[in-house]
Amino acid sequence: MRDFLSKLARVPMLILLLFFIGGLSVSAQAGDLIHDEAGLLSAGEAQELEALAERYGAEQGVDFLFLTTDSTGGQSIEGYMGDFFDRRADSTGREDAVLLTIDIGGREVYLAGFGTAERTLDSERVDLVLDRIIPEMRSGDYAGAFEETIVTSSEYMEYRPGVNPESIFLKTWFHLAVALLLAGIVVGSMLYNAGGRVTTTPGTYVDRDHTRVRSHSDRFRNKTVTRRKIPKNKDGGGFGGGGGMTGGGRSFSGGGRSF
Amino acid sequence: MVIHYKCPNCGADMAFDSDSGHLSCPSCGHEENIETFPEQNIERKFDEGEAKEYHCENCGAIILTEAETTATHCSFCGAPVVLADRLTGDLAPAKVIPFTVSKDEAVAAFKKWTRGGRLTPRGFMSGDRIKKMTGMYVPFWLYDIEGEAHIQAIGTQVRTYQSGDTVYTETNFYDVFREIDLSYLKVPADASEKMDDVLMDKLEPYDYSELKDFRMPYLAGFLAEKYDFDDEQLFSRVESKIVPYIDAYISTTISGYSSVSYTNKQIDAQKKRVYYTLFPVWMVYYDFDNKEHTFAMNGQTGKVVGKPPISAGKVALWFTGIATSSFVAMKAIAFAVGGVLW
Repeated sequence: MRDFLSKLARVPMLILLLFFIGGLSVSAQAGDLIHDEAGLLSAGEAQELEALAERYGAEQGVDFLFLTTDSTGGQSIEGYMGDFFDRRADSTGREDAVLLTIDIGGREVYLAGFGTAERTLDSERVDLVLDRIIPEMRSGDYAGAFEETIVTSSEYMEYRPGVNPESIFLKTWFHLAVALLLAGIVVGSMLYNAGGRVTTTPGTYVDRDHTRVRSHSDRFRNKTVTRRKIPKNKDGGGFGGGGGMTGGGRSFSGGGRSF
Repeated sequence: MVIHYKCPNCGADMAFDSDSGHLSCPSCGHEENIETFPEQNIERKFDEGEAKEYHCENCGAIILTEAETTATHCSFCGAPVVLADRLTGDLAPAKVIPFTVSKDEAVAAFKKWTRGGRLTPRGFMSGDRIKKMTGMYVPFWLYDIEGEAHIQAIGTQVRTYQSGDTVYTETNFYDVFREIDLSYLKVPADASEKMDDVLMDKLEPYDYSELKDFRMPYLAGFLAEKYDFDDEQLFSRVESKIVPYIDAYISTTISGYSSVSYTNKQIDAQKKRVYYTLFPVWMVYYDFDNKEHTFAMNGQTGKVVGKPPISAGKVALWFTGIATSSFVAMKAIAFAVGGVLW
């Protein structure tokens, strides 16, 4: 609750901050978040996504970056995106970022979290985001995939680090269902017992001196064994889970898939 | 035959007092032990040849009773009378549990019970509209039951383990045999047609340590009935009552398995002894909302059963209250763990 209040108190400060540096940083960053080298987006899409990334990025205090390429030039996609981020961070000094990289040549996608996002968007959460965007990647809706990445990552980053944001125990519908079920059971049993409860038990009338097992046997008969293979990674092929380190020595959380 | 118990002190009609367990005189307060009550003070009157009509010895009025009644009050002068010929021979009860809850205690216990009703309407909770309280000895058959059970079952033990990237589920099957001796003592079933079986079952259990050999004076001052069903007719009802008990016992004898499926379950139960017994019950007739509600109270333990009126508003209130508070509690926990409210 205290977190919530302090967050609330931060809102006016944030707005003020945006007023001061907002214009400045926007002009400095214009076109800086989307690096569509493979030309997967139309000009209109790029503009819209840039605006969306800025808005959500300001909220979360990270840069949402989008990088596409035709070819990684023989490098792995991790290495390629690592080099890109090193270059960018060295020149802008901005270390906190969520980076979605698409190698349309190798049909691979990699999502990474740098700086604070390494914690707030850890590899487990990256995996969850990838689950969501893979259908869009396959259908070729790359703008949709990036939009989904921004929105979903922002949502996940609100949660305390380490918590699974898709956990059923955090879902409102689950809380509602349990609350209604509990109330139903409690009130139902109150209604059922309003006319007096049966308080006799199997032990009430039993004659313990003469109720006994006269003879018993438990004989082993046969046994069956079933085997089940533990399924390997998800379909589409995941790799690079758990993140790593860039050539420039920046650690990141992340994961990738082919599509 | 009509019986009056006359006070050796003043000659008034004595009645059973549930506090002392003695016969007590309402006019002079004299008490007499039931076992040692002087024979000359028992006033008997034989009415030759008639079964339905009895005359009160006090005032001569006709005592109007139903055919099952064995103890009542004279409707004219109010004197407690016991109709002895309906309590002798085949109709003689073997045992009785005397009333230990007096009328005043019964009223107090009933009022307390209505106050505890969380779903009952407000007006009902005051408990002040008792129309009539009747102390009644209800006829029960108590069965001593003996039997055996032969059980065949298949039990399974399941073990899972992992080796490499394969999960193995190993299920062991066992043939299970049990031969069980069963014995149940004094399982009751109410023998009165008037009484609701479900209601009477809920009044149980009675404390059998106060089970006494039957004597007529216990009935003085109360209503009493004779049985409508004999022990043969009621045995099937008692059987259906103990079968769940037997099943529960059987399952306790088979343990250590993850699942048990019975292939053969043979239960054979016979009655070994029966006791015709009178149990004390306070019947409470209560007026609420122009309707009469009937409740029964165990005359020994004070346990109340019966269907109280239900307030829909209170049900809704409890439901929303519990639902809302548990929802808020879960949200609070989710917030504390996840850091996000929605």
